[in-house]
Amino acid sequence: MAMLSNIVSIVENNWLLLLVGQYPNGPLGGIAATLILSVLGIALAFPLSVLFALATLSPWRVLRWPVMGLVYVARGVPLLMIILWVYFLLPILIGANVSGFSTMVVALVIYEAAFLSEVVRAGIQALPRGQMDAARALGHSHLGAMRYVILPQALFNMIPSIISQFVSTIKETTLGYVINVPELTFAAGQINNRLLTQPFEVYFILAIIYFVVCWTLTRLATALESWIAWRRSGAGNTAVLAATHAVAAES
Amino acid sequence: MSNAAAPSAAPMIRFEGVNKFYGDLAALLDINAEVKKGEVVVVCGPSGSGKSTLIRTVNRLEEIHSGAVVFDGQNVHAKLGGSALNKLRSRIGFVFQSFNLFPHLSVLDNVMLSPIKVSGVGKTDARTRAMELLERVGLANKAQSFPAQLSGGQQQRVAIARALAMEPPAMLFDEPTSALDPEMVGEVLAVMRALARDGMTMMCVTHEMSFAREVADRVWFMDAGRILEVAAPGDFFRTPTHPRAQRFLTDLHAR
Ligand SMILES: Nc1ncnc2c1ncn2[C@@H]1O[C@H](COP(=O)(O)OP(=O)(O)OP(=O)(O)O)[C@@H](O)[C@H]1O
Ligand SMILES: [Mg+2]
Repeated sequence: MAMLSNIVSIVENNWLLLLVGQYPNGPLGGIAATLILSVLGIALAFPLSVLFALATLSPWRVLRWPVMGLVYVARGVPLLMIILWVYFLLPILIGANVSGFSTMVVALVIYEAAFLSEVVRAGIQALPRGQMDAARALGHSHLGAMRYVILPQALFNMIPSIISQFVSTIKETTLGYVINVPELTFAAGQINNRLLTQPFEVYFILAIIYFVVCWTLTRLATALESWIAWRRSGAGNTAVLAATHAVAAES
Repeated sequence: MSNAAAPSAAPMIRFEGVNKFYGDLAALLDINAEVKKGEVVVVCGPSGSGKSTLIRTVNRLEEIHSGAVVFDGQNVHAKLGGSALNKLRSRIGFVFQSFNLFPHLSVLDNVMLSPIKVSGVGKTDARTRAMELLERVGLANKAQSFPAQLSGGQQQRVAIARALAMEPPAMLFDEPTSALDPEMVGEVLAVMRALARDGMTMMCVTHEMSFAREVADRVWFMDAGRILEVAAPGDFFRTPTHPRAQRFLTDLHAR
């Protein structure tokens, strides 16, 4: 019971720090920074991953091999390694200081683009071969077929996987802690350093927050998955819901 | 014989010494044959005899190892730039056994997509033309539906309309009715009959012998990668010369 009241009072005293960090007196942090990092990471990685996937599936070897190599390496090392490389290398490469936040975004984009490109590639390859055949037979170029026929279907089917990847990204942002990015875990660390005596309570709150955010998103992905299955069965094209109902009424 | 436009002498599709192998297996062996302009050719033969492979070489969905396939005077398998091949393909209508409609697009958009994106036709013109074609295959009322909401027969008729939208001088069909429930075969064959009557050059892989008898100018019988017999349908069905063809027809009747 004592522990529960401790938790409540920690939340009462620190909710703003957990939510937005030192903002507006310092950099944005807390849950807000975690979510912004994750959204930026995925949003920038996504278009890149589509390009990577198209390159690995392209008929042109000069495009295929380097990108496959890059994806292979990025998937084959721990994210922490990428973060450290970006942290030490990027300032040298561009000759300027790079904030922890930007470092983390760059590292996440590299890592997530490599992972997502495999998701996109699998999504493309899961479509029946007849789709590409039909598009080519009508005279579309390889890229035209991808753009108008293959990608719209593959990306739609991939929405749940992208959300899952987003959830992973949220968890991965915790690694920003090692380079002092003021995200949620960092905020919890600050609180713990201030209180000194209640690490269990503080990290319990932290775990609950991550769990609630990730669980909600995972549920969303599951719901979308069944919705997509339903759409794919042809029942749910919104443009023709009325027509569907008419047909259902007939039969 | 039921063709209004009599086949003229000029070939639309010509196979010249075509060979294709899958490893040791000869999928096509020394194919020499031609489809004249306005002609309807039915290709038949046992499963695995190479019919699909043959018809797919015409628009180069399959590559060949030697020989040439000439479409309307152009060698499809020559060294072509990508855009030259795309242009050539857009002039060869192709209908698949499994329809292969684009499931994320409405019926109308399925028919309009390629004229707009490949041929650069304006949206309004493409729509008018697409509606005409859907009318022609009896599906104008389904323009706003999505493929999954249609029966197999309806999907295949949309696929035919989609191919016709590119205004091809010839149409290829690879077992267009094999994936259909029996009661839907008739509606697709009716569309194909009408096409033949209008003088379309057609190459059809099919086991619909009534269609062959009634519409085809010529039947090609294939077995083990070779064309063993080329004959008018009347002769082919009454007096097939090759023993393999005789056996094939007996098996077909026995089914
Ligand atoms: N991708 C491939 N790899 C290896 N062998 C293949 C491939 N595609 C076809 N074959 C073989 O080539 C031969 C010809 O196949 P094809 O599909 O052209 O026959 P078909 O006459 O169309 O048969 P069906 O009536 O069953 O459609 C068959 O023996 C088949 O197993
Ligand atoms: Mg076949």
